Amino acid sequence: MEKAVTIKRKQRKFKELPLLLIALPGILYLIINNYIPMLGIFLAFKDYSFIKGIFGSDWCGFDNFKFLFKTGDAWKMTRNTILYNLAFIVIGTVLAILVAVLICELGKRMRVKIFQAALLLPNMLSWVVIGYIVYAFLNADTGFINNTILKFLKLDPISWYSFTGAWPAILVSVFLWKNLGYQSIIFTASIAGIDKSIYEAAAIDGASKMKQIFYITLPMLKPTVIILTLMSIGRIFYSDFGLFYQVPQNSGALYGVTQTIDTYVYRGLMELNDVGMSAAAGVYQSVIGFVLVLLANKIVRKYDAENALF
Amino acid sequence: MKKRILAVIMVAAMITGLTACSSSSGETKDGTEADTEDADSGEGSYDQVVYAFSTFNNIPADEDLDTVEEAINEITREKIGVEVTLKPISIADYSSKVSLALQGGEKIDIFQSLGDFNNCVATDMAYDITSLLGSCAPETKKLVGVDWLAACSSDGRVYGIPTYKPIALTPMVIYRQDIADELGIDMSTVNSVEDLTPILEQVKEAYPELTPLAPVQTGQIGLHTCFEDTDYLTDDMFSPIGVLMNGEMTVTDLYSTDEFKAMCDLARNWYNEGLVMKDSATTTSTAAECMSSGNYFGYIAAYSYPEKDTAASLMAQCGGYELGAKMVGDAYLSTSDVNSVSWMVASTTDVPEAAVKFLNLTYTDEAVINLLIYGIEGRDYIKNDDGTVSYPEGEDSTTVPYTAQLSCGTLGNFFEMYPMQGTDPASLDWELEQNKSAKTSSAMGFTFDSGNLKTQYTAVSNVISQYLPGLLCGSLDPETEISKFVGALNDAGYQDILSAKQEQLDAWSAE
Amino acid sequence: MTESRPFNRAATILLTIFVIIAVLPILLIVIASFTSEDALIRNGYSYFPQSWSLDAYYYMVKQGITIVRSYAVSFFVTIVGTALSVLLTTMLAYPMSRKSFKYRNVLAFFVFFTMLYNGGIVPSYIMWTKIFHIKNTIWALIIPNYLVTAFNVILVKNYYANSIPDSLVEAAQIDGATEFTIFRKIMLPLAVPTVATISLFTGLCYWNDWTNGLYYIDNEKLYSIQQLLMKIMNNIQALRTNSNAALLGTGAVDLPGTSIRMAMAVIGILPIMLIYPFVQKYLVKGVVVGAVKG
Repeated sequence: MEKAVTIKRKQRKFKELPLLLIALPGILYLIINNYIPMLGIFLAFKDYSFIKGIFGSDWCGFDNFKFLFKTGDAWKMTRNTILYNLAFIVIGTVLAILVAVLICELGKRMRVKIFQAALLLPNMLSWVVIGYIVYAFLNADTGFINNTILKFLKLDPISWYSFTGAWPAILVSVFLWKNLGYQSIIFTASIAGIDKSIYEAAAIDGASKMKQIFYITLPMLKPTVIILTLMSIGRIFYSDFGLFYQVPQNSGALYGVTQTIDTYVYRGLMELNDVGMSAAAGVYQSVIGFVLVLLANKIVRKYDAENALF
Repeated sequence: MKKRILAVIMVAAMITGLTACSSSSGETKDGTEADTEDADSGEGSYDQVVYAFSTFNNIPADEDLDTVEEAINEITREKIGVEVTLKPISIADYSSKVSLALQGGEKIDIFQSLGDFNNCVATDMAYDITSLLGSCAPETKKLVGVDWLAACSSDGRVYGIPTYKPIALTPMVIYRQDIADELGIDMSTVNSVEDLTPILEQVKEAYPELTPLAPVQTGQIGLHTCFEDTDYLTDDMFSPIGVLMNGEMTVTDLYSTDEFKAMCDLARNWYNEGLVMKDSATTTSTAAECMSSGNYFGYIAAYSYPEKDTAASLMAQCGGYELGAKMVGDAYLSTSDVNSVSWMVASTTDVPEAAVKFLNLTYTDEAVINLLIYGIEGRDYIKNDDGTVSYPEGEDSTTVPYTAQLSCGTLGNFFEMYPMQGTDPASLDWELEQNKSAKTSSAMGFTFDSGNLKTQYTAVSNVISQYLPGLLCGSLDPETEISKFVGALNDAGYQDILSAKQEQLDAWSAE
Repeated sequence: MTESRPFNRAATILLTIFVIIAVLPILLIVIASFTSEDALIRNGYSYFPQSWSLDAYYYMVKQGITIVRSYAVSFFVTIVGTALSVLLTTMLAYPMSRKSFKYRNVLAFFVFFTMLYNGGIVPSYIMWTKIFHIKNTIWALIIPNYLVTAFNVILVKNYYANSIPDSLVEAAQIDGATEFTIFRKIMLPLAVPTVATISLFTGLCYWNDWTNGLYYIDNEKLYSIQQLLMKIMNNIQALRTNSNAALLGTGAVDLPGTSIRMAMAVIGILPIMLIYPFVQKYLVKGVVVGAVKG
């Protein structure tokens, strides 16, 4: 009896082996590329010295973290970071699904390929260039909006780069403009993976197009949405630096609505160039993201264990 | 079972395949790295020195670099028993690449502090060369002089050698000579930025479609450079925190002074009257671009050359319009002007003597300096009869195999370089004179150690970048915004920095 | 999927609007790159510029062979990087998707955690250059950072878990297929839509990347197109700003400005615009073929 159990156990262990082997190259890569450099977390607690190196430098406790909180902007930049990310998650997901559904409805027509390629193009531009485009539209003297559109409507020109009220909308639009095509691809792929016979059956039962979308496509997309959202939550304390720095042209008047944790760190460390402090900022952003994602994952696990991340 | 084994083999093959790739590629290193390896093993009896310099030009191909290296080595082997490896790094990546390389334990013995002097010292990047200067670089020590070396010191220890070049910056207004002539404007009456207002108005009136004043670059219309007799005490010129004014030794809050208010009022006035580009605080265009468009009358910036030379050298990049230049203030020297580009020996070096000896040559040996800057005579440049040099027939800076000509203000001794064709050799004397006669800060040689104030610095830098560009470009109203600005600064720990500065300054002057 | 005419029409119209919004600003860049520098600064960007100019492109052509070489580097890196990445990613994702696999949650967490925190450039740099000696080799552009990204792994895992029924795997197992055969013969071919997705993502990522080059490549012969463009752009910027700070000597330089930045953006995306339709098809097939050949 005992023997049988051990044999069985052995077998089971052996059973995992082939799968582990398949995963092994990827695991090794992640260990090398991601986990070993995580040792750099030391830097966040060290007063870095070039002579002494990472491990030899003096410990300085949490000194490197202080600069993140000792500012009147601490609350403002945290709020901005979170709110923008939430807006990106919600609006981005909704619109990306919409585009994906539309594309899939059109099937394999030639124009679909063109649509998809065209929507992807903005993603290939760097933020610096996008900054130029936005400037081309919003510039006070020669900008497209002031010079052409507002003139045509006989409205007074607006000084966009000091008009705080408009920027939340501008930033969200620019983000969507750049990323929509990219995000919709994920959903297009998911929809492509749905078994076609389900739709056929529904059509035979007389379900309308809208009904099919709402009762088949959207529910089938739920796992993807959950996973993507969970992943975004993990990075909720990070922000796309280029979007918040290059696009508003670093305009001081807009800091109230454009300052995020990343831009604060960049502006603060531009001169100091301090290895320890930038490492500290990274640790802070990750720890918060980590805690939030654990919470979110727990909630998902409770209601929908299948789709939890881990 | 067989298949399973196959799978295992496949995976294994993949992994070894991957590592094989990386190891085999490790063997095919490019020239520079191979040289570095040689350096480690100490080829021959010569000390190996790696000289990392920033270049604005193209990075030359290895073969072309090698010939220049070899030509320099012929001199250095004989004179100082050293072989040099040149490591040109493009200016935009310079600081990050050098700092990474040093952290990664790569061999770089000599590098430049590009504006980061304090930081290089604070993070132990730089080697203390105090004692080596006398023994390995006596000529340079004499040439550069005690005052300038003091500006590259901290706690009495010398960490760098400043580039020897015209450094005394004089604020100037660069303007369209053709327009000035046409309107009969006499620019010689302009002696300060305030004097500029009526002229800008006159231009505006005559040419309503012109914007009289262009910004220098994003967030600057040049007024930064126009505070008279002000020492920023080693802070960046675009975000000064606590300054010395009028030769006094009291650290002052620039932003609460009347001078600052007056400057902002001036900018605001220009802004409201439409005398300056409205978008200056956020523009993506630089002065040269604006001027090329023909839409602007002039701009304000600080240069280190005589009026005539400055105007002449700027013509090409400003669209070929005839330009004039007029000084609107006095040349002024403070610590950061001197140490902004200084040469340092890396703290990780194993050949400090050899490094300093080679640095010495870059300040004193005409042949070495010109090899560094222009490359090989005949191939990369030709000498003209009047002592100037130019590119060979049909070539320019982008096509010759090697040139670092645009870096001429950052490599060693500018005054030993052959002048480029088109420059007046006589202006060198003027520049040398400016360096000596410029008004010098009473705190010349003082360097501020901000090590314990990093937290405050980050917060304060953020506040400054929020308000300062707007105020000095006129887009913010000084009446209401200055007090907000100062309030925000104080919240960010501004006073801590001021008092620490004062403390260190007192200690310094007591010495 | 079943067809519905009015619905199709509405979808086409809506998508066309989206596409116009996406493309119009890019058109502005393309036009700006052909606009004369003067007109750009005088009138700003315009869809109907007053004067056209090829100066920006002349400037780029002057870089000649460098640009061609950089294109070659970029293509090589993108193709090899994407192929390797897809292989590693799917191999890692498949076991994670198997409900019978004991370590699936551990593995999922292991993968996901890499998204939350990275040690920063300094430790990575030291490791890649000191231990793996990839500095100044083509592998420096391929291996660090992008070969396996958590995002892609999770996408594929998620796709497997939701779109491929367990019964399929069980049936294969009963037929005596090994795990590896199942992966190769069944799972990879079935993952085509998601493989196409991550190929596209990874391809874009390799094509657009310049940071690996910045850190690990000194030799201009190995510059990718993005790194080259970045270098030109930064050097122009540095020249223009530093000439004020008198870093420079009296060397006259004549550089094109805004229009060249636009030209560079165009040069950066042009190949993708041209080959994207082919790649879209080829990628899917190519990946499957490559995987079957194993």
